[in-house]
Amino acid sequence: MNSSAIRNWLGYSTLALMLAALFMVFDYVPPEAEQGIAQLIFYFHVPLAWVAFASFGLVAIAGIFYLWLGDQLWDDLGYAAAETGMVFCTLMIVAGSIWAKPIWGTWWTWDSRLTTTFILWLMYGGYLMLRASADDTPQVARFAAVLGIVAVLDVPIVIASVRLWRTIHPAVLVTKQGGHGLEDPRMVATLLVCLAAFTALWAWLLMLRFTQLRTRSRMSALAVRIAFATAAASDKQVMELG
Amino acid sequence: MSGFAAVLRKDLRLELRSGESTLALLALSMLVLVVLVFALDAARVRSVDAAAGALWVAMVFAGMLGANRALLAERDNGAMRGLLLSPLDPATLYAAKFAVALIFMAVAEVGAVILMVLFFNLEFDASIARLAPILALGALGFSALATLLSAITGRTRGGDMLLPILAVPIFVPALIAGVKASAAALAGAQLASMGDWLKIMIAFDVLFVTAGYLLFEHVVGED
Amino acid sequence: MEHLEYLVAAYSIIFAVIFLYVVFIWRRQAALDAELRSLEARMASLTQASSETVPQERSDI
Repeated sequence: MNSSAIRNWLGYSTLALMLAALFMVFDYVPPEAEQGIAQLIFYFHVPLAWVAFASFGLVAIAGIFYLWLGDQLWDDLGYAAAETGMVFCTLMIVAGSIWAKPIWGTWWTWDSRLTTTFILWLMYGGYLMLRASADDTPQVARFAAVLGIVAVLDVPIVIASVRLWRTIHPAVLVTKQGGHGLEDPRMVATLLVCLAAFTALWAWLLMLRFTQLRTRSRMSALAVRIAFATAAASDKQVMELG
Repeated sequence: MSGFAAVLRKDLRLELRSGESTLALLALSMLVLVVLVFALDAARVRSVDAAAGALWVAMVFAGMLGANRALLAERDNGAMRGLLLSPLDPATLYAAKFAVALIFMAVAEVGAVILMVLFFNLEFDASIARLAPILALGALGFSALATLLSAITGRTRGGDMLLPILAVPIFVPALIAGVKASAAALAGAQLASMGDWLKIMIAFDVLFVTAGYLLFEHVVGED
Repeated sequence: MEHLEYLVAAYSIIFAVIFLYVVFIWRRQAALDAELRSLEARMASLTQASSETVPQERSDI
């Protein structure tokens, strides 16, 4: 299967799964007892979180392979994963905040999950700023790979420390831990479908951006070769004249 | 003389000659503390928490400055290329730079602790002694991290501005643990009671010293 | 239904941002395609030039 076939397949799967997810959220799943209708945000908020963290892991894995094998392909994959991950991480925080307002009465709270995600968001931001502030050289690709690896290795420690921080001093508002008491199996089914839908969406966006970056890398390499060939050709012409 | 000792001696001698980095570090620590005294209105907040927080803010800023300075010596005149062409391997170079950054940070910490006690109305007693291992763990972790990152940021357009953006989020777990443990120590708690925080800091330190040691070669090579 | 506006806001923002990201990729693609075309043109002129073995006319003879 070539890459555009994969892209199309992913695109259609995303569309189908997303429609199914929307149907299940709005027409199938029973409403949660206490939180009212805003609770439905949960079914998108959790998949967004999973995808944001998974993408981050992919940045690190791509970084390791890049440092090990040196193939530009891995650098492109890491960059694409960082971008898509950033998009989903931002959405997760925004969705979480919009959910928090009616349920907890505040736009933001430093509960352990939101805090950890925010740190993740900052790390993504740093990675992307590094990329933006430097040229597309193999050296910068190595920098980005090292940064990605280092950041991901840190994430478990962040999770542990934030959780410890919040158990010793719980957030002012007693946080309902994200609707974890999923009593009804329909809720579980809905969540799983939403997870699948967002994973497909992530894979599709990743594929789009990744192939685009691949094309750009290949074109840069080609442009260099053409420049050399042009210079050589004009040298040849000069020599033939003289 | 081993490569590690040679690089270390060179940097320390450079610094002892002028002393300007040390002075800048101490000045920065003090000024940060001053700002926080006013910002937190130290009289109204429970002193120990404010003091611990202020101390760590000062340390983090000083640590970043120290890490930048540790690599600054090689940034000009292409001296880094010279070091790389020598038989010195990158891991040893990392160890030396890490040691320099650590020494800078330790000096700043001593100054900051003294100022903290003075500014926040604390006592020079056993609680300060209990603070020492906590601060040592923090300095180890931060120097290891910042040395690795400043090799990256020093050579991109973002430059010195980028280092805090990259370092702070990654340092957060050690920061949380360090502040909490420091506040507890200043309030009179024994080190044994802070076991969880200390474990987090130790894990952080082990992780980043190892990562720095292994990954430094990828960030100092030239194209 | 209380809190409906929050639900609507959350879902709308999610889809809007995703849509914007796709648009961003799409526009980058257009720029890439344009660059590719110019590269292809230069390739063509290069292969043409190297196949021309006729030397330039000398006007000073």
